[in-house]
Amino acid sequence: MAKKKLGLKERYAALTRGLDWETTYEPMDEVFPYDRYEGIKIVDWDAWADPFRLTMDAYWKYQSEKERKLYAILDAFQQNNGQLNISDARYLSAVKIWLQGITPLEYVAHRGFAHAGRAFRGAGARVACQMQSIDELRHAQTQLHAFSHYNKYFNGMHNFAHMRDRAWYLSIPKSFFEDAYSAGPFEFVTSISFAFEYVLTNLLFMPFVSGAAYNGDMATTTFGFSAQSDESRHMTLGLEVVKFMLEQHEDNVPIVQAWLDKWFWRGYRLLGLVGTMMDYMLPKKVMCWKEAWEIYWEENGIALFHDLGRYGIRLPKHHEVAGKEKHRLTHEMWTTLYQFGNALGLHTWIPNDEELDWFSEKYGELFDTMYKPRLLYLRELEEKGERYFNNRLPMVCQVCQIPVFFTEPDDPQTQCVRIVEHSGTKHHCCSDGCKDIFEREPEKYVQALIPPQQVYRGEAGGATNIFEYAAWLHLERDVDTGEYRGSPDHQHWLEWQRRHKAASPDEAA
Amino acid sequence: MSFRLTIEPLGETIEVEDGQSMLDAALRAGIGLPYACNHGLCGTCKVDVVDGAIEHNHASSFALMDVERDEGRCLACCATLSSDVVIEADVEEEPDARALPIGDFTATVARIEALTPTIRGLWLELGGDGIDFQAGQYVNLHLPGLDQPRAFSIASPPAQSNLLELNVRRVDGGAGTTWLHEVAAVGDTLRLTAPLGRFFVRRSAPEPLIFLAGGSGLSSPKSMIEDLLAAGEERPMTLIHGVRNQAEIYYADVFRALAATHANFRYEVVLSDAADDATWAGPHGFVHEHAERLFAGRFAGHKAYLCGPPPMIDACITTLMQGRLFEEHIFMENFYTAADAAQPARRSALFRKF
Repeated sequence: MAKKKLGLKERYAALTRGLDWETTYEPMDEVFPYDRYEGIKIVDWDAWADPFRLTMDAYWKYQSEKERKLYAILDAFQQNNGQLNISDARYLSAVKIWLQGITPLEYVAHRGFAHAGRAFRGAGARVACQMQSIDELRHAQTQLHAFSHYNKYFNGMHNFAHMRDRAWYLSIPKSFFEDAYSAGPFEFVTSISFAFEYVLTNLLFMPFVSGAAYNGDMATTTFGFSAQSDESRHMTLGLEVVKFMLEQHEDNVPIVQAWLDKWFWRGYRLLGLVGTMMDYMLPKKVMCWKEAWEIYWEENGIALFHDLGRYGIRLPKHHEVAGKEKHRLTHEMWTTLYQFGNALGLHTWIPNDEELDWFSEKYGELFDTMYKPRLLYLRELEEKGERYFNNRLPMVCQVCQIPVFFTEPDDPQTQCVRIVEHSGTKHHCCSDGCKDIFEREPEKYVQALIPPQQVYRGEAGGATNIFEYAAWLHLERDVDTGEYRGSPDHQHWLEWQRRHKAASPDEAA
Repeated sequence: MSFRLTIEPLGETIEVEDGQSMLDAALRAGIGLPYACNHGLCGTCKVDVVDGAIEHNHASSFALMDVERDEGRCLACCATLSSDVVIEADVEEEPDARALPIGDFTATVARIEALTPTIRGLWLELGGDGIDFQAGQYVNLHLPGLDQPRAFSIASPPAQSNLLELNVRRVDGGAGTTWLHEVAAVGDTLRLTAPLGRFFVRRSAPEPLIFLAGGSGLSSPKSMIEDLLAAGEERPMTLIHGVRNQAEIYYADVFRALAATHANFRYEVVLSDAADDATWAGPHGFVHEHAERLFAGRFAGHKAYLCGPPPMIDACITTLMQGRLFEEHIFMENFYTAADAAQPARRSALFRKF
């Protein structure tokens, strides 16, 4: 009888396994110094089930075809002046916050996975991380290329890399990733592949990619499609890592639980920025933050944790606080961004009447009684020529680095501040979630560099006020920063729309 | 019209309806192809088409590249069949699966016996060589006046290929089980399709076996245990049968006799609804609770076979996993009723089988 054809799993194993070896000149523990100190016990690395089976040969072939398709569409977008077809120039604030805050994370993810791809002693896990490392680099590059066209026509996108390490609000995403990649390899992969890319991924990509599609941004939409086929691999890696740890040894369960508690909360806090983008910055709305939270966390996320319950994992701590905040999160965050607009590399504004009605419909009474009056008051000031700016910098949370603007879980009228003392110094946290994270690893978080404190110490090129600070970020006052209405971006947009319409008789008629 | 889909390396052939995706058909047949987004965007469900013609439908051009289409790949979540098709998918080959051909048979009801107040035993006699099946598999019975066949696990061992025993629990309002309880009579002829299902003993696996059965879910474990013991199986085996009260216990004499003659076989009955029954000296509780007591909460190093209603299976999976026995060592047959199927539980992609 002819030998039976190998199954895909066996074929992949034959191609990829046994290529590494037990070292003899140096002890394995010194060759792989990072995969044990977190306390994760791996009894049998051979039990690692490859979450996807891809050879390098196939990888290059697929990715190169994806690039050809993506760049063909980006070329068409640029040659057809695609920037004129977006819904409204306010949409660019969403692109700017993504470019400044999220795109650099793709690059840091590339570095983090390159590190994890060296750190695990199991070859299967190393290969999976190495491929993801290359994906992340590609995502950073293709996002930049998709956005670069807008940089020719709109302000605020010219120096994102310089801003990333200096801007107070960009330390929110920056500190998130630095927290992850300064952890050990298992925590890194849990935080990024599982908590962020699996549990919370829809809340990150849905507003971004669907938002782009709704708002006529063909370039970003196409990037999203090209990335999503990689994301499936990343998500399965996250699932496999978590299952692998939980199944390898029962001592791993409480460690994984603590990481899920921490990274759920950190991920949720970071998503506050994305939620605000989806509610306030997208001129054409996809869905509101509250709805997205209900679908993607309260239904799908909780179903996942129900399944994880079989391993003895419970729902992440403080998830119910996120449920209480879903009615107010984005409104609180938008007015925070609005008031510190002189130190932002994007524009802010008060929503128009149609948008206020949409908020009333989506958020109901709480919006009408608490947030709408405030927005109307701010609009009134603006109409009197007294557009409100808070020309200082906010106190930010020692952990998530978001300004301490949140309100108490059960009382949207009282500011929520938690103070922790460590070695005689007081640190401020925005929530019980962040305070717990601090208290679990205080030595880590006392080292966090808090931008507003550094600015006030004169570390921002000696800036003595918010305008000098913005200049140090390479942001031009009232061009890159400040109010949208009347900004150069706004004026250009109106002029281009006028000319565009005049030039096309169909639309003019 | 429908086409046949053969899934390699399993060698299983299933029917795919017009307009039904490959993935949907496979999942419904109990074959766990990997998938994630289920709408053509992520590429997790990519398979190789070895033979036959398919339509890609709305598969994303980024999730399924042109080179892949040229090489004969497709996304199972979008692809529909235009002819009979053979695919090769990323599923685990089962060395103990016999990949038996499925056939249509006519059987005569040879005997009917009330096993408990709610469970009826039906013995179906077949001509010729009877049916070749693996212990644990089921038949689809085509009942008069019903559009859809009803599935019943075979309670008799494969050696008895001409006389199949089925255990039918009466489901309140269930058209099929009501017919079998009230109308079916000795001498009736019934059409059936068999053998079906992927619930069978992994004989090549060396671990001791645990059988957890709820109510009429005793059927498959009974077939499996009788088959194993007849073949001289020496690994330790435990059967826990959970029922509500003493009246619902059946085949206790059969299993006690087996336990008396086979030192490696242990038999336990547990009652969930007999707290005020002074005549019951045995254990109380659900199957999973009794398993936890019996094994002191440690199940690692076993293979477990679960058969019964979905809530019982669900509770048993959790208990087994918390006792460190994981997905690849757990096998199950859920006895779904039409009412269960109407409200599918919300699940994540964490597990393939559960």
